[in-house]
Amino acid sequence: MTAFDQASARKLKNSEQLFTGTEVDKGMKSAEPLITFRNVCLDFVGRRILQDINLSIGRQEFVCVVGPSGCGKTTTLRLIAGLLQPTSGEIVYNGKPVREPARDIAVVFQDYTNALLPWRTAAGNVSLALEAAGVPRTERPDRIAALLEKVGLGNRGEAYPSELSGGMQQRLQIARCLAQEPSVLLMDEPFGALDAMTRQHLQDQVLRIMDQSGTTVFFVTHDLEEAIYLADRVIALAPNPGRVAEVFDIKLPRPRNQLTTREDPEFLRLRRKIFDFVQESEA
Amino acid sequence: MNKNTTRTGKILWLLASLAFAAALIAGWQLIANMRLISPVFLPGPDRAFDAAVTGFESGELGGKLLLTVERMIYGWVLSSILGVALGTLIGSSALARSYFGPTLEFIRPLPASAIAPIAITLFGLSNASVLVLIAFGTIWPMLLATIHGFAAIHPRLTEVGHVLKLSRLETIWKIALPNAVPDILASMRLGLTISLILTIVGEMLMGLEGIGNSILLAARSFDAPNLYAGVILIGLIGLVSNLLLDMMDRRLLRWRPSR
Repeated sequence: MTAFDQASARKLKNSEQLFTGTEVDKGMKSAEPLITFRNVCLDFVGRRILQDINLSIGRQEFVCVVGPSGCGKTTTLRLIAGLLQPTSGEIVYNGKPVREPARDIAVVFQDYTNALLPWRTAAGNVSLALEAAGVPRTERPDRIAALLEKVGLGNRGEAYPSELSGGMQQRLQIARCLAQEPSVLLMDEPFGALDAMTRQHLQDQVLRIMDQSGTTVFFVTHDLEEAIYLADRVIALAPNPGRVAEVFDIKLPRPRNQLTTREDPEFLRLRRKIFDFVQESEA
Repeated sequence: MNKNTTRTGKILWLLASLAFAAALIAGWQLIANMRLISPVFLPGPDRAFDAAVTGFESGELGGKLLLTVERMIYGWVLSSILGVALGTLIGSSALARSYFGPTLEFIRPLPASAIAPIAITLFGLSNASVLVLIAFGTIWPMLLATIHGFAAIHPRLTEVGHVLKLSRLETIWKIALPNAVPDILASMRLGLTISLILTIVGEMLMGLEGIGNSILLAARSFDAPNLYAGVILIGLIGLVSNLLLDMMDRRLLRWRPSR
């Protein structure tokens, strides 16, 4: 993926926006946030896990969440997914409180091996999401092929997950999530278990795909540089109990580039700032 | 199981195991020829083989073999279907698991042969009785494996089902049951062995025509060659059915990383 490709993809999307109304709606980062946390608290067996979380996430925003382990990053993500319910307060998605999982909110789990069906091929795993959404059988093969192509697994459709590398399995999970045509993609340390090269490659792939689809992303990571590289906004949580400690706006130009973006003085300044902050809050 | 994955290695292992079988048969022949045991009770493999050939030529043995294999397969299929279906009903709900669990634990250790008299009083000396006997004795591994397979779903897969908003039925059909397939297949292998045992026992107890009954009658009339021919045939049924199951396993479990 070159910077040129990213730029042309962005242009393509802009030109689409001129013609299709829905794209324009998505394109405007409207004042109304897509996801809002209102005074969310969560207790688990008598212990306070999250304390008074107030957050809003805009449409098409790429938000990264960082913080030391045990600060409730994953818990926050699971609340949005509807897999957990807050003890008090509420999470509002699209104007409605979240009570259960929604079809257009997809979750990329960290442990891709457990999140895939080992008895189904790559194509079969993508198909699961289409079956769940009630896509007619005849339409599935084309859509599966397009989705696998999108994540670079075009020629591995017949492979079983056990025959794929870790990076490929995670891309497969991403393809299944994209099959849901999600408005929101929740990613829980998706690249934590992958080697550095694969991770960078997947970061760029995710950026490109999000740029094309205009999906809102909520991305949990413990890698500060990854957070800055990807995000429009980095939310730092502090532990005991988990709470929002600080929010950093990332004003780095897009499309981002593994070399130039990471050498940008602003990137280095942000890295120092967030690093200092997290260390302080851990101490 | 052996680590010789090369072709020549496999052939060597096969030859070695064939040599072992040949040595056993030769030893048997030797003991019979030396008349260490009276030929009335121990025929040599030659006489047992002759008896089998004669039996097949008259068509009598083949018919009995077919009857026995049929009973075994019917009983096995019936108990597999019942076991998986019941296991699905019980396994898919934690409430059902705790509700039915203790009762099942009471019934399970009952020897299947103890059920035979009950089956006879209910169904008479009939094929139905044998089927009940086989089903009762054979259902347990399948039932327990299915329940276990349902309980052992990785929580992440359950969450994937939630996030995709799969219905209860879809979750069972697309996640829980396939997840239990390896367990179920292993239990069906066990079940086939039990089913063969109970088929033979059932034929003997109820006097139904088949290999089981024919070896009992052969023993009673001191017809050692036919007795041994029958026992060998029963062994072959077990061997062949296991080979067929191996093929089924390979086909259904090809998604598993090769061991």
